[in-house]
Amino acid sequence: MQCSIRELMVAIAVAVALSAAAAAFGAGDPEINPPPQPGEWAALAQLPDWSGVWTPSLKDQDARMKSNPIPWNPAAAAAIAKLGAAEKAGNPQGLFVNCLPESMPSWMLITHNALEFLFTPGRVTLLGESDGNRLRRIYTDGRPHPADPDPTFHGHSIGHWEGKTLVVDTVGVLPETYIASSEAVGLPNNGDMHVVERIHLVGPDTLHDDLEITAPHVLTRTWKTTLILFRQRAKKYDIVEGVCLQGNYSEGKDAAGNAVFVPALQTEGGNTLPSDK
Amino acid sequence: MKFKSLRCVWVLAAALTAPAFAHHSFAMFDFNNTVTFNATVTEFRWTNPHVVLLVEASPKPGAPTQIWSMELTSPGNLTRMGWSRKSFKPGDRIELQFNPLRDGKHGGAFNRAKLLATGQVLTSSVRDAEKPGLK
Repeated sequence: MQCSIRELMVAIAVAVALSAAAAAFGAGDPEINPPPQPGEWAALAQLPDWSGVWTPSLKDQDARMKSNPIPWNPAAAAAIAKLGAAEKAGNPQGLFVNCLPESMPSWMLITHNALEFLFTPGRVTLLGESDGNRLRRIYTDGRPHPADPDPTFHGHSIGHWEGKTLVVDTVGVLPETYIASSEAVGLPNNGDMHVVERIHLVGPDTLHDDLEITAPHVLTRTWKTTLILFRQRAKKYDIVEGVCLQGNYSEGKDAAGNAVFVPALQTEGGNTLPSDK
Repeated sequence: MKFKSLRCVWVLAAALTAPAFAHHSFAMFDFNNTVTFNATVTEFRWTNPHVVLLVEASPKPGAPTQIWSMELTSPGNLTRMGWSRKSFKPGDRIELQFNPLRDGKHGGAFNRAKLLATGQVLTSSVRDAEKPGLK
């Protein structure tokens, strides 16, 4: 078959247009998560044992914020000084009173609550207590970050094992999430934050999460710090459900006798008042 | 500005006070000051993020009773210290120790309580036990 240059050009234009249309309508094979193979389940047994429930060292959190303070830039430091003064004076603003998640990176900085790790093929999952929504999915299946991830409270995390250390890279965190030194002192990361973590056992039952937090809009340099966790195996440490918003309600009855949540009376400081009986 | 109805006022008031709810800092309490008095439990709310104990007491002998509100850590943390949702029930007589609110209102951060009927003591500091393998 003989085709003129002109016909060839038209054919190419049509093909390009059809391809674009096909892409636009999502044609083609979607990326899939393949079913784990028996070998992948077996390989999990070779990973370090992070089973049990992990409780944070609050004493170390308190001490570390003094010995290794967050390197705020001058504008942020001025705002932090005001928040610190308010906290010291006993009229704190409270960063988490709205019950939104402590999020990344503050969950890994100032949590008072237990957490646990789940290993499954291609993923490490962190589940926390309290807040109702403490959950991090760390993909270890070799995938890259999305080119332009939708920002979320805990960001997009990819991880890989370097020996017995899980190295986690997190981007795509909402700019509104706090970098906090306490529940009353902290500022939004303001975007473009990048967090690298190296999580590893330092003893039979002590785990360190070494963090490197880069937040160019509020910090002068990458801030390195560590979260210390202690392993608990007593069953009374099993993680329990914790829904933060529940604290805004007390248990009551409606007119039909149904068990319902009714708004609890609280003062400005968040201190609960008696039910109106 | 006029409100169309009382309902508006309530809704607005709820909206304005809502940010002060729930997962708050404990900086509002004066940890350099400890108060102890005997009280009667009126409510025990086993809820996240902070368990709440409400008591009725006369801080000074012979004075009229007042309702005081005690804030504690989470149910999860308290469970590990041997607490349960049944640790207190309305009517329980207790000797209560707490760090009061700095603003003088009738509230505080719970330290410890002794049930007068049994002598059982309950404490609540999450910083007291920090090591692996706690029993």
